[in-house]
Amino acid sequence: SEDFLDQTDPTKVGVDVFYKNEAQVKQALNGVYSQVQALNNTAYLFGEFQTDNTTVDLNPSDRGGAGGWEAFEFSTVNSGNGEIANLWNGYYAALYNNNLTLEKMVTAELPDASRKEIEGQLKFLRAYMYFNLVQYFGDVVIVTSTLATPDPAFDLVRSPQAEVWTQIEKDLNEAILLLPATYAAAADKGRATKGAALSLLGKSQLINKKYAETITTLKQVTSLGYALTANYADNFDPSPAKKNGAESIFEIQYQGDNDLGEWSNFQYVFAPRVSKGAVTGYANGSNGGRNVPTNDIMASYETGDLRKDLSLKPNFTLEGKVYSVPFVSKYNYPHTIVNRTNTNWPIIRYADVLLMLAEAINEQSGPTAEALGYLNQIRKRAGLAELSGLDKTSFQTAVLKERRLELAFENQRWIDLKRTKTAAEWATFMNAHGAAERAKPTVDRGNVPFNSTDYVFTANEYVLPIPAPQILINPKLTQNPGY
Amino acid sequence: QATSFDNLPHITIDRDIKGKVTDDGGQPLPGVSVVVKGSSTGTVSNSDGAFSLSVPEGGNPVLVFSFVGYISKEVAVGNQTSYDVQLIVDSKALEEVVVVGYGTQRKRDITSAVSVISMEDIGEVPKSNVTKMLQGQAPGVIIKQKSGTPGQQFEVKVRGISSLGAGSDPLYVIDGFPVGISVGQNLNPNDIETITILKDAASTAIYGARGSNGVVLITTKSAKEGKTNLNVSIDYGIQNIPNSRKTHVLNGQDFAQFKKEVFIGRYVLANGRQPGTEDIPIDFRNPENTKYSTNWFDLILNNNAPYKDINVTLSSGKGAIKSVVSAGYYKEDGSLQYTGYDRASVRTNLSGDVNKFISMGVNLAGSYSKSSLANTDGRSNLVGLTLISDPRYPAYDEKGELIPYYNGVGDIFGFPNPLYMLKNIKRNRNIADVLANGHVELNIAKGLKFRSSVNAKINYNTYKEFVPSTIGLAIATGSAGAPPRLATERDDSEELRNYAADQLLSYVTNFGENHHLDAMLGYSAQQETTKGLYGSGNTFPDDLSPFLGNATIRSSNSIERKWRMIAYFARLNYAFKDKYLLSATMRREGSSRFSEGHKYGTFPAASVGWRISEEAFIPKAAWLTDLKLRASWGKTGNNSYNVSALNNFGVGQNVGDDGNYASLAFLGLNNYVFNNTLASGKTVTRFANSELTWEKSDQLDIGFDLATFNNKLVFTVEYYKKITDDMLLGYNIPAVSGFTSTLKNLGKVQNKGIEIAVNYRLKVGQVNLRTNGNITFNRNKVLAIRGQNDFILQGSQYGGYNIQQVGRPIGMIFGYRKLGIFNTKEEIAAAPQQEGAVPGAMKFADLHGAPDGGPDGIVSYDTKDMTEIGNPNPKFNWAWNVGADYKRFDVSVLLMGAYKFDVYRNIEASTMNMDGVFNVLEKAKDRWRSPENPGPDPNNKNSQGGTDYFKWSRESSERYVYDGTHMWIKNVTIGYTLPKVKGILSDARIFVNAANLRLVTKYPGNNPDAGVRGGTELNNDDESYPVPRTFSAGLKVNF
Repeated sequence: SEDFLDQTDPTKVGVDVFYKNEAQVKQALNGVYSQVQALNNTAYLFGEFQTDNTTVDLNPSDRGGAGGWEAFEFSTVNSGNGEIANLWNGYYAALYNNNLTLEKMVTAELPDASRKEIEGQLKFLRAYMYFNLVQYFGDVVIVTSTLATPDPAFDLVRSPQAEVWTQIEKDLNEAILLLPATYAAAADKGRATKGAALSLLGKSQLINKKYAETITTLKQVTSLGYALTANYADNFDPSPAKKNGAESIFEIQYQGDNDLGEWSNFQYVFAPRVSKGAVTGYANGSNGGRNVPTNDIMASYETGDLRKDLSLKPNFTLEGKVYSVPFVSKYNYPHTIVNRTNTNWPIIRYADVLLMLAEAINEQSGPTAEALGYLNQIRKRAGLAELSGLDKTSFQTAVLKERRLELAFENQRWIDLKRTKTAAEWATFMNAHGAAERAKPTVDRGNVPFNSTDYVFTANEYVLPIPAPQILINPKLTQNPGY
Repeated sequence: QATSFDNLPHITIDRDIKGKVTDDGGQPLPGVSVVVKGSSTGTVSNSDGAFSLSVPEGGNPVLVFSFVGYISKEVAVGNQTSYDVQLIVDSKALEEVVVVGYGTQRKRDITSAVSVISMEDIGEVPKSNVTKMLQGQAPGVIIKQKSGTPGQQFEVKVRGISSLGAGSDPLYVIDGFPVGISVGQNLNPNDIETITILKDAASTAIYGARGSNGVVLITTKSAKEGKTNLNVSIDYGIQNIPNSRKTHVLNGQDFAQFKKEVFIGRYVLANGRQPGTEDIPIDFRNPENTKYSTNWFDLILNNNAPYKDINVTLSSGKGAIKSVVSAGYYKEDGSLQYTGYDRASVRTNLSGDVNKFISMGVNLAGSYSKSSLANTDGRSNLVGLTLISDPRYPAYDEKGELIPYYNGVGDIFGFPNPLYMLKNIKRNRNIADVLANGHVELNIAKGLKFRSSVNAKINYNTYKEFVPSTIGLAIATGSAGAPPRLATERDDSEELRNYAADQLLSYVTNFGENHHLDAMLGYSAQQETTKGLYGSGNTFPDDLSPFLGNATIRSSNSIERKWRMIAYFARLNYAFKDKYLLSATMRREGSSRFSEGHKYGTFPAASVGWRISEEAFIPKAAWLTDLKLRASWGKTGNNSYNVSALNNFGVGQNVGDDGNYASLAFLGLNNYVFNNTLASGKTVTRFANSELTWEKSDQLDIGFDLATFNNKLVFTVEYYKKITDDMLLGYNIPAVSGFTSTLKNLGKVQNKGIEIAVNYRLKVGQVNLRTNGNITFNRNKVLAIRGQNDFILQGSQYGGYNIQQVGRPIGMIFGYRKLGIFNTKEEIAAAPQQEGAVPGAMKFADLHGAPDGGPDGIVSYDTKDMTEIGNPNPKFNWAWNVGADYKRFDVSVLLMGAYKFDVYRNIEASTMNMDGVFNVLEKAKDRWRSPENPGPDPNNKNSQGGTDYFKWSRESSERYVYDGTHMWIKNVTIGYTLPKVKGILSDARIFVNAANLRLVTKYPGNNPDAGVRGGTELNNDDESYPVPRTFSAGLKVNF
C-alpha cells in the first residue's frame, strides 16, 4: 500500500509538522538568533580588521597556509574569498529561516502578545541583517519570502541600496510598534526590544543623512530607561550581574563554561599567536593573532583615557619575557573551560546612541550645547576633560574620534568610516593607514616582505565583492565595480 | 532368439576387442565409460581415448559408450575386433543452468550479458573476501584492491562508473536476497558454489532501481543428489611487503646531509654567497656524525604475517532432506604490526521435498568477524607518517622500550613513533551477521510453480577506538604536539535489519515441438532499518580503563534510518526451435526514498537471440559447435544516492542522513542563549527537492558467442552502451534561496565499451591446458551536468583535484601543467608571472585568465590556470588465466593488468616536500640543485625542483601524475592430487599458492590501484595500507 512507502526520519522534525504553536515558533525564532550569532563570530573581519583600528600578528613560518581572512587586512579581498562567500551565504541562510518563520507563524496558534513579540523580533532581525548586507555589499537581493522550489531563485537580482534601506526602515518601524520596551520575564533578557529597533532605525537614518528623523528616533531611546554604566568595563563583563546591563541595547548573547555550545572565543581569536596562556590563561588554547590594535589606534588615546587599558594591551609577558604584540583585551574575562568564554558582543550600546545623537544634532543644527552634552557624557566616563568651543567640523572630527575609541573593536569602525567619508576620501584615508603599516608594522613580520598588492585601497573597495561562485551559478547577479 | 546367458553360464567364450573413442573433432576422448549392455563388464578409455575389453562371444552384445556432456552411443559388437567410436556432444550439455535474477535459465537460452564465475578457475587464492575472488574473472568487471587492510572488501565496478552523484557499486544478491551494494566482510567465500554477474540491462532490469551498476548473484552450496561427503580444507600462509614495492626514503645520515644542503641553499639565496662553517647551525653542520638511522616504515611491518583458513563442509544428498553444513575460521594478521582480521562462520543449507507437491528449504548462516584496524591514509596517518618522520632518531630507548614521541627540533615537525601508535591506539570493528533465507515451493501443476520466500539479514556492527594520552600529535611544530594529550574514546554500535519477502509464480512449458516458453510473475517487498548509537568521551584520569564511563567529558548520539520498497515484476522467455530466443522483463518499483508522486518507476527490458548455428543454411561443420548473436536493451534505475555528493561542492549544508529522506525538509537544532540560559532553537537544514526521483540508465548490449570444436575454443564479444540520465546530483542554487545546494535529477553520463572473452582448452601429450583471457575497453564521458559549460571540481589545491566536465571522461585529474624547472631569475622574469617563484621552482603553464579565456600573463594561485593533467580511466583492462594438468599435478596462473591510466600520487607532495620539515624520498637526491646541476632529467614532468621555496611545489600539478600501467602476476597455484584411498579418501589435494606475486610497473608507489577517495574522485594515492604478497600452502580432503 502507499502507506508502506511513506517514511520519514524519526530522529528529526519535518518542516510540515512544525511551526504549529508558541513553543515551536519561538524555537524557530531562536534559531534565527543563533544564525545571527554565528555570523557575528567573524563580523570583526569586516567591521574592524579591514580598518585602521586593527592589523595582524602574522605567522611567518606558515605563509603557504595563510588564510583568506588575511586579505581583509591587506586589502587583497577578491570575489573568490571564502569569508565573503560565508558572509553572503550565511546572511541569506538566516534570512530564509527568518522569512519562513514569519510565513508559518501566521497559521500557528499563538497568544496575541506573544505573536506581536515574535513578529517584532523577526522584523528587527531581518532589518539588522539587511543593515549589514547593504553596508558590506551595497546593492543586495531583497528576499522577504521563501521559495518552494529553487528555480525562481535564479531570477532574483540585486535591488538598489535605496530600496534596501526602505525595506530596513519598514521592518524597523513595524518592529517598534510590536516590540516591548522590556520583557516581563527575565528569561527573555537578550531579546530584541523596542529600544533596539529604535536605535537601529536611528542609525539607518543617520547613515542616510536624515538628521531630523535620526534625532526624533533616537530621542525616543533616551526615554526608555537606558543609562551609561559608571564603569566602562561593565559593558563587557560577563558576570551575571553585569551582562546585558543598563547601557546594553542589543547584544549577541554567548555563554561559556559548559558543553552547551553557546560560548564565545574572541579573547582567543584576538590573542597573540605565540602568547600560549599568557593572555587567555590556557596554554592549550588556539590563539588567532587577529584583530591586533594598530600603532595608530594606540596613539589615538588621550592621556588619562580610562578606556585604553580596558580595551587593549600593548604587549604581553610570557615566561619572563615581554613580547611587544598588542592585543584587544576588552573581551578578556576569566572562564573555566579553555576556548569557551562567556563574553557577549555588543551591537548597540547606549553610548553609541548618545554619540549618534551628538553627531546628528551637529549635522542638523551645529555643535549645540545639547550635542556637546551627549559627547561629554561619554568623555566624562572615560576620565577625560569635557570639550567645548568646537565648530561644526571639529565637532565632526571629535565625535568620530570618540566613536573610534569608545566603540573600539565593537565592529563599528568600518560603518563609521563609510558614513563619514566618500569612497575617494575613504580610499585616501585607508592608503595612509597602509603606508603607516608598511613603514612600521605594528607587529614584527619575521622578515616576510610585503607583497606589492598589499594595502592598496581603491575607491571601489568601499563595498565588498559579491562572491564569485554566486555569480557563476547565476550570471544575472551583477558584480560590484572593480572586482 | 532370446538366448539367455544365464542358461549357459559355463560355456561363455570371451573375446577381446579394442578401440578408440574420439569426439566429433577427431580428438581422443579419455575417461569414456565403455560397458557391455546389461552386464557389469566395462572399462574406461585411457588418455589416448583407447580402450580394450573382453566381451562374451555370441548373444549379440552391445557396447554402451557414455561420457558426461556427450550423447551416449550404443554399438553392436560384430565380428571385427577394433571399434573406433565417435561421440557427439550432447547439445543438452549446454543445458547447464545459470542463476539469473529471481530464477535460473538454460545457459543456451541466455540472450543478455551474463558472466558466470567458475569457482574452480579462481584457484587457491587466500579467501578473505568474495570480492577478492572476482579479480580478473569476467570481462567488464573491474576489481580494485585499493589497500592491503586485512579483510577489506575490494572495489567492484561493472561496466564503468555510471553515476556522478549516486554510487557505482553493484547490487549483491545472496541466495536470491538483495543485501545491498556491499557484500560485507562476513560472508565465507568457501560456502559459495557459483557467482553470476549480470552486466546488461536485460539481465539487471528485473532488479529495477538497483540494477544500474550490475548485479552480483551469489549462490551458496547445496548438496548434490545422492552424494554424501565431508570436505576439509586447511590453508596456511604468510604475507609480506616485498622490497620492490616498498617506498624508499632517506636514511639518517642522508637526511642530515639533506638538511645541511637545504640550509646552505637558503643561505646562498638570501646572502648571495656560500656560508662559512660557522654560519651553519651546529645541528646541521656534521651529517656524518648522525648517530641513528631508523627506517620507520620497516619498523611497522609485520614480516611473515601469518594467515590461516580452515573449513569443514559436510554435504549430504541422500534421503528426503538434503543438507550442507559448514564451519569456517579465517584469521589473518596484517602486514602492518598489530592489525588483523578474523572471521568465524557457520552455515546450514537444508532443503527437502515434503511430498510431490511441496518442497521447502532453509539457508541459515551466522558469522562473527573482528578487525584490528589502523588509520593509514594520508601523510599524518600510518604509512605516510613513517615516510616523512625524521630518521635520525631511534625507535627504542636504552631499555628497549618504544619512545612515544619526538618533538620537532629546529624546523622539523614533531611526530609520534608510528609503531608506538600502532601498539597503543586501539581500533576494533566487530561484526556479527546472520543471514537467513527460507522458502516453500508448491508444484501446482506440470510446469507451474509457486515459490514464496522470506529473507533476513541481521547485522550488528560495533566500533571501539581508544587513543591514549601518550599519543602525540603528528606534524606539530616544536613541542606543541607532545604528549600527554587528551585521551579520547569512541564507542559506536549499529544494528541493521533487512527483510525481504518474494512471491514468485512461474510456468514452464513446451508446446508443439518447437516452442519453449517460460514465464514468471513476482512480487517483492523489502525493508531495511539501521539504528545507531554513538558515544565518545575524553579527559580520562589515566589510560588504564578505556571505557566511556571513565571519561570526564562524554557525548552521545543516536540515529534511526529506514527505507522500504515494493516491486511487481514479470519475465517471459520464449524460444522457437532453440533458434530464435526472446526474453522480456518488466519491473514496477516503488521506493520510500522519494516523495509523493515520485515514488514509482518502471523498468522494462527486452533481449533477443539468434542461434545461427542451428540454421539450415549454415553448413554443419565439425568445428562449429554453437554460434549465437544477441541484442538487448533495457532501463534500470539507481536510488542509492549519497547525500555526501552535496558536500563535494564544498558549499553544501550538512544534510545529516544517508539519503533515505532527501526529498524531505527537516529542522535541526540551532540553540541560542537568553539570560545565561539555553534557549532551544531550530532552523531548516536543507532545501529539500520534492521532485526528486530515480536516476535512470538506458543500456544497449550486442553480443556474439561462438563455440568451436566442442567448446574447445569459446569466444564471446560484447558491445555495450549505457547512458545514465537524471542523475541524482548535488546542485548549486543561488544562496539567496537560503541554501547553496540541493539534490536534483540532472546530468547525463555515458559508458560504452567492448568486452572480449576467450576460453581455450588443449591437450598436448599428457598435459591438459586450459586458458582463458578477457579484455575490457570502457570509455566514459560526461554528456551533461547542468548547462553547457558546467563542471564539478572535487578535491583541494594541496590534495589534488578531479574534475567532471561535459564532453570529457569522468574523474579527470586536474592541476597545473608543468613546463619544467626555473633555472635562473632571468627565466622567471621572462616567463608569465608566478608570484614568489625562485630558481628551482617548477614552472607552470599560464593557460587562462584573459577576457577571451586565453593566457593573461599570470599563473594564478588558484584553479584558474589549472587544466586536465591526467586521465584516471585505463585504455583497457585485461586478465589472463592459464591452467595445466599433468598427471596428478596442476598449475594455474592469473595475470592481470591495466593499460595507460594516470594516478595522482598525492603523498609525494609531502614525501617530496623540500622545505626540510619532513624526511623525503630517495628520489630527492636527483633534485634540481643549480642551473649547472639540474638533476638527471629536469624536463621530465615528475622531476623534482630545488629546496629553496615552498610555494609552487605542493599545489596540484603534473609533477605528481604518474602512469599507472601495470601487470600483476596475481596468482600462481601449484597443486597435487593424492591417490584415492578406497572407502576413506575419495579425493585429496595439496597445493601451494602465491598471491600478488609480482607487480610489473613503472608506478613508484606500492599499488597503482590505490585511491583514498571514493565516488568519482578517482586515483588519488595518499599512501594507504600496503598491499602484501602472500605465500600459502593448503590441503583439501574429501571423505
